Amino acid sequence: MAAGASARCLSVRGALRLPLRCRWAGVCEPERGCRFYSKSAALPKDEGTDVTGIEQVVIPKKKTWDKVAVLQALASTVNRDPTAVPYTFQDDPYLIPTSSVESRSFLLAKKSGENAAKFIINSHPKYFQKDIAEPHIPCLMPEYFEPQIEDVSEAALKERIKLKKVKAAVDMFDQLLQAGTAVSLETTNSLLDLLCYYGDQEPPADFYFQQTEKSEELEQTTEENNKRASVKAAHQAGVTWKARNNAERIFALMPEKTARSYCTMIRGMVKHRAYAQALDLYTELLNSRLRADVHTFNALIEARALMANEKFEEKWNGMLELLKHMSVQKVKPNLQTFNTLLKCLRRFHAFGRMPALQTLREMKAIGIEPSLATYHHIIQVFYQPGSSAKAPSLIIYDIVNELAGKAFSPKDLDDDMFFQSAMSVCSSLRDLELAYEVHGLLNTGDNRKFIGPDLRRNFYYSKFFGLLCLMEHIDVTLKWYKDLIPSVFFPHSQVLIGLLQALDVANRLEVIPQIWKDSKEYGHTYRSNLREEILMLMARDKHPAELQAAFADCAADIRSTYESQEARQTAPDWPATPLNCVAILLLRAGRTQEAWLVVAPTRDRAI
Amino acid sequence: GEWAVRVVPWSRELPGAWRALHTSAVCAKNRAARVRVGKGDKPVTYEEAHPPHYIAHRKGWLSLHTGNLDGEEHAAERTVEDFFLRKFMLGTFPGCLADQLVLKRRANQVEICALVLRQLPAHKFYFLVGYSETLLSHFYKCPVRLHLQTVPAKVVYKYI
Repeated sequence: MAAGASARCLSVRGALRLPLRCRWAGVCEPERGCRFYSKSAALPKDEGTDVTGIEQVVIPKKKTWDKVAVLQALASTVNRDPTAVPYTFQDDPYLIPTSSVESRSFLLAKKSGENAAKFIINSHPKYFQKDIAEPHIPCLMPEYFEPQIEDVSEAALKERIKLKKVKAAVDMFDQLLQAGTAVSLETTNSLLDLLCYYGDQEPPADFYFQQTEKSEELEQTTEENNKRASVKAAHQAGVTWKARNNAERIFALMPEKTARSYCTMIRGMVKHRAYAQALDLYTELLNSRLRADVHTFNALIEARALMANEKFEEKWNGMLELLKHMSVQKVKPNLQTFNTLLKCLRRFHAFGRMPALQTLREMKAIGIEPSLATYHHIIQVFYQPGSSAKAPSLIIYDIVNELAGKAFSPKDLDDDMFFQSAMSVCSSLRDLELAYEVHGLLNTGDNRKFIGPDLRRNFYYSKFFGLLCLMEHIDVTLKWYKDLIPSVFFPHSQVLIGLLQALDVANRLEVIPQIWKDSKEYGHTYRSNLREEILMLMARDKHPAELQAAFADCAADIRSTYESQEARQTAPDWPATPLNCVAILLLRAGRTQEAWLVVAPTRDRAI
Repeated sequence: GEWAVRVVPWSRELPGAWRALHTSAVCAKNRAARVRVGKGDKPVTYEEAHPPHYIAHRKGWLSLHTGNLDGEEHAAERTVEDFFLRKFMLGTFPGCLADQLVLKRRANQVEICALVLRQLPAHKFYFLVGYSETLLSHFYKCPVRLHLQTVPAKVVYKYI
C-alpha cells in the first residue's frame, strides 16, 4: 500500500518534472504524503545545522530596473533578419524598394505625407483638441505657429522669439523702442540669440529637403569627391554675416552688455563666417573685463583656424594662445574644445600630426573621454585623401585596438563619420583583419546607430564588401553577400563587378547567372558595364554542358534587355563585344537559330 | 370585425371607400451583411459571401478589441472609432481598397490592416500611409499603424 501511495506520488511528481532527489525522498518517507518542496529551500536548512562558522550572508542591494529592461533583454536575443527590409517599409513585394533611389524616394514620400498631415492638423486645431490620452501626450496636440498676442508689449516680443519669427521679433523690438518702453536685458539677450543663430534670416522652412539628390553616378566618383560633396551639402550654403545687420544694430543699441551678449554675438559671427569680426569682438570683451564661456572659446578656436592669409604655424600658435586665455580665465575645456581643435588641424595637412597627438594626450590628461568624432578627426589628420605615396601611418591599428569592445553614446555631431573613414582607411591599406575588427566594433552594443545616413552606410558597406571580394575566400564572400545584400545596402554596379572578378579568380563562374538575376532586382538591368563584364566572363572559356546551357539562358536574357532598351530609346548602337559574346554562348549551347537572329539584324549596321 | 362585413366586394367602384388591414404577424427577411443571389455573374469575396451567422465558424472578426468582454468598458466608443476609421480609409485610398479593413487594438495602439489594389504607384502609397498614420494618431492621441497588403485584383471567392 505504501508502494501504491508512493507510486501515485511518483506519477504526480513525474508529471510536474521535479528533480530526482525529491522523488527519491518521497519514496523513502511515504508517511509525509505528497508534499512539494524545492531543492533550494531544503539546502540552507541542512547546511546551517551541519556547518559551523559560515560567512555572513550578504544581502545584495536591491536592483532598480529600467522600465523597458525586459524588452531590452528580449531584444538582445534577436538578430537582424537578413531577408527583411527595414521596418519603415511596408512588408509587401509591390511596396518593397529595389534600389537605393527607390528606398530614398519612398522614405521621402512617407515624410511628405506626415508633413501634409501636420499642415492640416495645425490649420484646423479645433478638431484635434479632445484629449483622451492619460497621461497627456504633448507631441500629439496641434501646434500654434502664429503669434497670439497682438499688442506692442514685451510679452508679445517674447512670444515671437519663442515661435522663431525673426523679422516679426525685430519689428516688435523696434516698435517697443520707438514707444519708449525699455526692454529687459533678458529679453534682449534672447532676441540676440535668435538673430545670431539664424544669421538674421528666417529659419529655413524645408531644411530636410535641401540636401541634394545623390544618384548612383555621383556615388561612383572618387572618394575625395564624395567627401567634398557631403561636406558642401552639410554646410549652410550662402548664409554669411552681413555687416551692420540687425544683430549688430541691436547690440550697439543695448545700454548694458553682459558677457552673454558678447558670447552670443561671437558665436553667431563665427557660425556665419565673419571670423575677423569675431576676434575683434573678443578683444572688446576682454577690454570690458568679462569672461567668455567654453562654447565661445570653441567658436573662437574655429575662427582662428579658418582665418585666411596665415601660415599653419601662426594659426596653431593663435589657437594655443586662446587655450592659455581659457586657463587664465578658469574656463574648463570640454569635449567640443578638443574636437574643434582636431577638426581644424585637419586643414594643416602634414603639419597637423604632432599637434593632434599632443591634443589627444592633453585630453586624456584632463580626463575627458574621447568620443568617436575625436578618432574620426585623428584618422582624417593622418590619412589625408590624395596625400603623398610615403609609407602610410599605422595609427589606425592603435585606434582600433583602443576602441575594441567599447560601446559609445552620442556626444558629438560628427560621431557618425568615424566608421566611414575607418573603413575607407582599411580599404586603402587592404587589410581584411582590421576591417573585421572595425565591423566587430560596429556590432558591439548600440554602435550600429553610428553608421550614419543612407549615403554613408552605402559607402561603408561598399568598401567593406569590396575588400571582402579582393581578399577573402570565395565561400565566405558569398556568405557575406547573402547576409548583406540587399537587406543592408543596395550594391552599385562597381561592387557587383568586383564580386564577379572575385568569382573569376576563384573559378566559380557557375554563380554568375544567379548574380545576374539578383542584379536585375537591384535596378541594374540596363547597366552596360555590368552586362558586358558578365558576358565576357561567361564567353571566355568553354564549360561543361549544363553550365553552358545555364550561360546560354543568361545570355538570351541579357540580349532581351538590350532589345527592350532599344525599343525605349531611339537607336543606340549595339556595341560589338557583347553581341559577339551572346552569339558565341548561344552557339556553344547549340541554339544556332537564336544565334543567327542575334547576328543577322546587325548586318545592316556598321560593326 | 363587424364593419368589415358591411364592406361589399363590388363597392370597389366607389373611389376611396376600400380599406384593408394586414392582420398577420410581420416576418421580414434577414438582410444584414448578405449579398443577394444573382444570375451567377456577380463576383464576391470570401468576406462578402458568408452571412454573419458564419462568424466564428467560417469567418473571423473585422474589429478586434476587448471592449465587449465582461467587466470592460467603452465598447461603444470603440465602435464609433471603427466607423470613423473605415470611412476615413475609404476616402483616403480612393478605389484602392479590395476588402473590408481589419482593425486590431493592442495595448494603446490601433493597427489598421488593409488589403489594397495596385492602383497607385508605390511612392503614392507611402505618401498616403504617412499622411493617415500621422493624422489618425493626432486625432485619437494614440499610435496608429497601417499595414498594407497589395493584390493585383479583388480576390474572388465565388460568383453568385
